Amino acid sequence: MEKLIRQYWWKALGVLILLYVFVVGMLVPLKPGITLVAPSSAKTGQELILEIEGYNTNFDKAEDTLRMWLKMDNERSLAAKSIDVIGPRNARVAFNIPDYLPSSQRVQDFALVIDNPIDGASVRPNAVLITQDSIDPDQGIQQWVNENMTGLHEKQGITFPFRNILGETIRNTYFHVSLWLAMMIIFIAAMVYSIKYLRRLDNRYDYWASALTSVGLLLGGLGLLTGAIWAEYTWGKFWSWDIKQFTTLIALLIYMAYFVLRSAFPDEAQRARISAVYNIFAFIALIPLIYVLPRLTDSLHPGNGGNPALGGEDLDNTMRMVFYPAVIGWTLVSSWIASLLYRTSQIEEYLWDKWDEDDNYEK
Amino acid sequence: MKATNWILTAFLVFFTLTTGAAQTGSTDFMRSMGKMYVVVAVIVAVFIGLVLFLVVLDRRLTKIENQINDHG
Amino acid sequence: MTICYLCDQMNMLQQTMRLLWRDWILEWRTRYALSGIVLYVLATIVLVYSALIDIQPKVWNAIFWVIILFAAVSAIVKSFVQESQSRQLYYYNLVHPLALLLAKMIYNTSLLFLLSLLSWGALALLTGNPVKETGLFILAIFLGSMGLSIAFTFVSAISAKAQNSATLMAILGFPVIIPILLTLVKIGANALRLIQDTSISSDILILVAINLVLLSVSILLYPFLWRD
Repeated sequence: MEKLIRQYWWKALGVLILLYVFVVGMLVPLKPGITLVAPSSAKTGQELILEIEGYNTNFDKAEDTLRMWLKMDNERSLAAKSIDVIGPRNARVAFNIPDYLPSSQRVQDFALVIDNPIDGASVRPNAVLITQDSIDPDQGIQQWVNENMTGLHEKQGITFPFRNILGETIRNTYFHVSLWLAMMIIFIAAMVYSIKYLRRLDNRYDYWASALTSVGLLLGGLGLLTGAIWAEYTWGKFWSWDIKQFTTLIALLIYMAYFVLRSAFPDEAQRARISAVYNIFAFIALIPLIYVLPRLTDSLHPGNGGNPALGGEDLDNTMRMVFYPAVIGWTLVSSWIASLLYRTSQIEEYLWDKWDEDDNYEK
Repeated sequence: MKATNWILTAFLVFFTLTTGAAQTGSTDFMRSMGKMYVVVAVIVAVFIGLVLFLVVLDRRLTKIENQINDHG
Repeated sequence: MTICYLCDQMNMLQQTMRLLWRDWILEWRTRYALSGIVLYVLATIVLVYSALIDIQPKVWNAIFWVIILFAAVSAIVKSFVQESQSRQLYYYNLVHPLALLLAKMIYNTSLLFLLSLLSWGALALLTGNPVKETGLFILAIFLGSMGLSIAFTFVSAISAKAQNSATLMAILGFPVIIPILLTLVKIGANALRLIQDTSISSDILILVAINLVLLSVSILLYPFLWRD
């Protein structure tokens, strides 16, 4: 470890990885999507005219090949009667809604599917709610003019997925979510060094534990700050006592208490031993906080209650190619900063010991 | 000390700019282009955070240097 | 390990029971915690009652757990902090350190459980009893006093090593017990039938898991703490 922290290859690697993450994470475009469908509700037996606003779409270039459907379920979908292209991002589409729907529900939700060879296929779930005056599934099945979606296109080139609420902020996966994972790795490393200290009682392990903990606090603080900035423009408030924000704040308080505890002991050996004990205790107390409690209550945070986020289908392969390097990059750069703190502590210790000896000699 | 003041000022300016931009007028700057500027703000915040941390480390080293000078 | 004089004559369980008995005798002689908490509960209820007049079950739930939290702090803060260094040294020479920790934890759990039942009784007398599911509520009180006792006892053992340790104990302890408190409030709301939740058994399991984890970490780490 003493040799490793004086080598440059892993620091350069961390910086290069982050550079890659910044360039690719910012430059790769989003997949075309649908940002607005109006009106969002309709009645049966009418001609339904929808105003559509796309994102990153090329309706004008693909005017002749543009196709749209209202999708009810996997078997049933309704093709558009006519499509008016207004601009690259705007179109007006008309559907003939039959008098009866092949459904026993009064209100049926439909997804809107748009397809063309340039943009590929894009879907907006729950785009339109259609209310039927009277329910008759048998007549609905008779009246239904089904047109299956066939020959859907794939968007060419590398893209990130489009998600409704997130929009471009899906890129925050690399600049907010990855900070989180890096923080957990750093805190685990701090705990490992605390355990090492208790086993060997070597001061160097204590310096590592405190250096890593303060870098972990930095990452956590940045995670909270970047989350708050995002929340301001998505939820409308920097701070809304969302359970994720709350538990994060508490986690940071636990680790701030670690430094309060350290400052309470003038004696170095006692400080190192007791803060190591608290560091391990704090990490164990953190586990229920971060991973168990958010499951207890509802949260608006992406990844909870149907909100889109990472994991499962949401983190697609393209995003993985940036997200995992981002975690590694942030961890490496944080370790670099921690190693600087560690070396500073070592120099301080060396100098103070030397000066103490000098003072004793003079006496 | 001077460096911290500079960075604090930059931070405050950044925040007043972003929040001010969010509140002025009907054209919402931060939410335009699919909230792209939120991503930019997040990156700037991370960058400022790292720089602030470096400033703290810098001051700690300066303190040690001063102590070395005191001890001759 | 220092020499442990009683270790030859008693096993750890006996030592724990002996220390537990001693703590109870001391409490019974002074009735410090008991009288303090009765006063505290009365003051809180009078204050809240005069401010709100009509105490809704929702508020009742919150008040109850706030009372338990502060009762826990004021009762547990003295377990390590208020014993002098020399007396602690004496104990450490006499008994196994884990026996001391376990005795304190069991004592604090039982004291806090008793205090919680007392304040529940006092609250019920003065404001009526909104608890619909008594069994669940007693279980919550028991698990809660166990969790709070484990966390606060260990934290007070840490902070007893420093000066002005009462403040330090609050700083170290509060963030640690937040998960326990949040779960308790949720189970409490279920026991008052403020919310209907099918996943209540998983909440209880989470509470048990937190307690067990904190207990085992405390037992593992305490040998590194006590020697000085």
